[in-house]
Amino acid sequence: MAQTSASPTPLLKDELDIVIPTIRNLDFLEMWRPFFQPYHLIIVQDGDPSKTIHVPEGFDYELYNRNDINRILGPKASCISFKDSACRCFGYMVSKKKYIFTIDDDCFVAKDPSGKDINALEQHIKNLLSPSTPFFFNTLYDPYRDGADFVRGYPFSLREGVPTAVSHGLWLNIPDYDAPTQLVKPLERNSRFVDAVMTIPKGTLFPMCGMNLGFNRELIGPAMYFGLMGDGQPIGRYDDMWAGWCMKVICDHLGLGVKTGLPYIWHSKASNPFVNLKKEYKGIYWQEELIPFFQAATLSKDCTTVQKCYLELSKQVKAKLGKVDDYFIKLADAMVTWIEAWDELNPPKGSAELPNGKGK
Amino acid sequence: MAQTSASPTPLLKDELDIVIPTIRNLDFLEMWRPFFQPYHLIIVQDGDPSKTIHVPEGFDYELYNRNDINRILGPKASCISFKDSACRCFGYMVSKKKYIFTIDDDCFVAKDPSGKDINALEQHIKNLLSPSTPFFFNTLYDPYRDGADFVRGYPFSLREGVPTAVSHGLWLNIPDYDAPTQLVKPLERNSRFVDAVMTIPKGTLFPMCGMNLGFNRELIGPAMYFGLMGDGQPIGRYDDMWAGWCMKVICDHLGLGVKTGLPYIWHSKASNPFVNLKKEYKGIYWQEELIPFFQAATLSKDCTTVQKCYLELSKQVKAKLGNVDDYFIKLADAMVTWIEAWDELNPPKSSAELPNGKGK
Repeated sequence: MAQTSASPTPLLKDELDIVIPTIRNLDFLEMWRPFFQPYHLIIVQDGDPSKTIHVPEGFDYELYNRNDINRILGPKASCISFKDSACRCFGYMVSKKKYIFTIDDDCFVAKDPSGKDINALEQHIKNLLSPSTPFFFNTLYDPYRDGADFVRGYPFSLREGVPTAVSHGLWLNIPDYDAPTQLVKPLERNSRFVDAVMTIPKGTLFPMCGMNLGFNRELIGPAMYFGLMGDGQPIGRYDDMWAGWCMKVICDHLGLGVKTGLPYIWHSKASNPFVNLKKEYKGIYWQEELIPFFQAATLSKDCTTVQKCYLELSKQVKAKLGKVDDYFIKLADAMVTWIEAWDELNPPKGSAELPNGKGK
Repeated sequence: MAQTSASPTPLLKDELDIVIPTIRNLDFLEMWRPFFQPYHLIIVQDGDPSKTIHVPEGFDYELYNRNDINRILGPKASCISFKDSACRCFGYMVSKKKYIFTIDDDCFVAKDPSGKDINALEQHIKNLLSPSTPFFFNTLYDPYRDGADFVRGYPFSLREGVPTAVSHGLWLNIPDYDAPTQLVKPLERNSRFVDAVMTIPKGTLFPMCGMNLGFNRELIGPAMYFGLMGDGQPIGRYDDMWAGWCMKVICDHLGLGVKTGLPYIWHSKASNPFVNLKKEYKGIYWQEELIPFFQAATLSKDCTTVQKCYLELSKQVKAKLGNVDDYFIKLADAMVTWIEAWDELNPPKSSAELPNGKGK
């Protein structure tokens, strides 16, 4: 039987960093203050490094602009996107915490159907601290939630679940649609509050949106590379998608869980669909090749760590997707660079050689 | 982009039968009258055939008791369970309609969060008439619902979906728990209304509950055999589970979809957990072998019809589960008998030899 806890959700304030990519300002943090203030923020400033990003008073944060990224990573900085929110994954790399929550600067506090403000971070923590159930679908969704459980017919040996690596939240108001859908349905708003968290089953891929996302950095961090997007790249708005497909293949291989559903945030800004179409254009075609690639991807038994999985995946990307476009050869190389950079900044805890300090 | 229709859901009153197993009475139909009255009912009376089941006035129905089942099927009647609601699948077999909705006699009309009565049948029809999306998970759930769509990153080539074979509804109030969970949590009630319909991904099994279930008989009917339960059998309360696992393997093979979620019904009666434990006891152990069996089951390319799939599955049941218990040898034979009976009662439409009449 699922063990549910009626005790309050731990704050984890010293175990979780909030990573926010921004190019504008961080005014949105004012609305989040009641929920975010205890936590350390890692702000990744994209775009013009000479611009000053104003952070509201009272937040504890570190901020990195492009100059910082170049300084810290040296030549390896080439794997971090410029002029695209994909640069946020630099924040994952420099964090020293166990958990990451990442959110976009146009995402605000949503209300549940009773009118109460939703503490999205608390829900992500709940999701990450309770197991996932990827091997068999529970028709009452998350069996570890209060008032729910595994249903009749759910095998008992699968009721312990597996550790949860990723918590994928959703969005009310402006839904995360691609450019064609935005062009055809510019007025559609997501007003449906679905009161469920569920595990995405093993073997099933999904579109991972980076707007409202939590993950266990110790379990899956190195797989959360957001790819090469933006300036000088032929594609944009596929950063989180790319990370999500790689991550899911690796989680399925390592027996880790991925949840989706609650929490909701309120997504306030609809990006320009014409601009989006230019960014996504190639992705719309390429994804028809990418999906079968990821669906068929298998990793060898030697791949016992996330890094090993990721490096093997990068080899397969180069071998099988290189012919789709040279971009994937560049991306495969960047995946390797990312892992090298990750391991340099995150040496094994027993290592005495490199200091385990913060970037700034 | 998903095509949603704002037009009202078709009634399908001449294309759908409602199958109800009962041993007591059908008073519950009074509450359903506004929604069920247009439809033809097939009542399968379990237990003592000499008892008269009272059907409320104004319903159009055919009723079968054990004597009828024996008369119609002759020796093949051995595949239909006695003293167990599994006998309901006889109703699927004798129906001449395209769609089936089956419901238990302790299931009543539920209310949605706004207080409105839920027309469960209408929702099942919506689910069955719109495609499923088993190959990739959509994070906004059913993309064909009003106000929803496929999200960014969902491959365009997969947006037509596949035909929906099964619509699995859920239950408010008494949840469908197994005996151990009922014993440990006798007071738990499901009060969480989850406003979603979703496709269960290909390759993922689930516990299919027969209390509130719709399906396309033409697409998947022969796979909906509810097994050997009840009188003279070593197991009970696994009829719908067995059907669900067989059905899902076949749907995955044939490229058909299975949905779960809305609609909710109000489940009023908690069955006795001690009685349930006696019935389920062996199932709790056996399912640990059954699940790996179904997860690994593959069907050959020759299996192009549901019947061929089902017969091949029955061979695998006999070969691989026969060593778990002799019961599975008997069950495999009963699966074959079921298909023989199905084909006899449902000859191909062009056949001139057998009359295409109703059982009664």
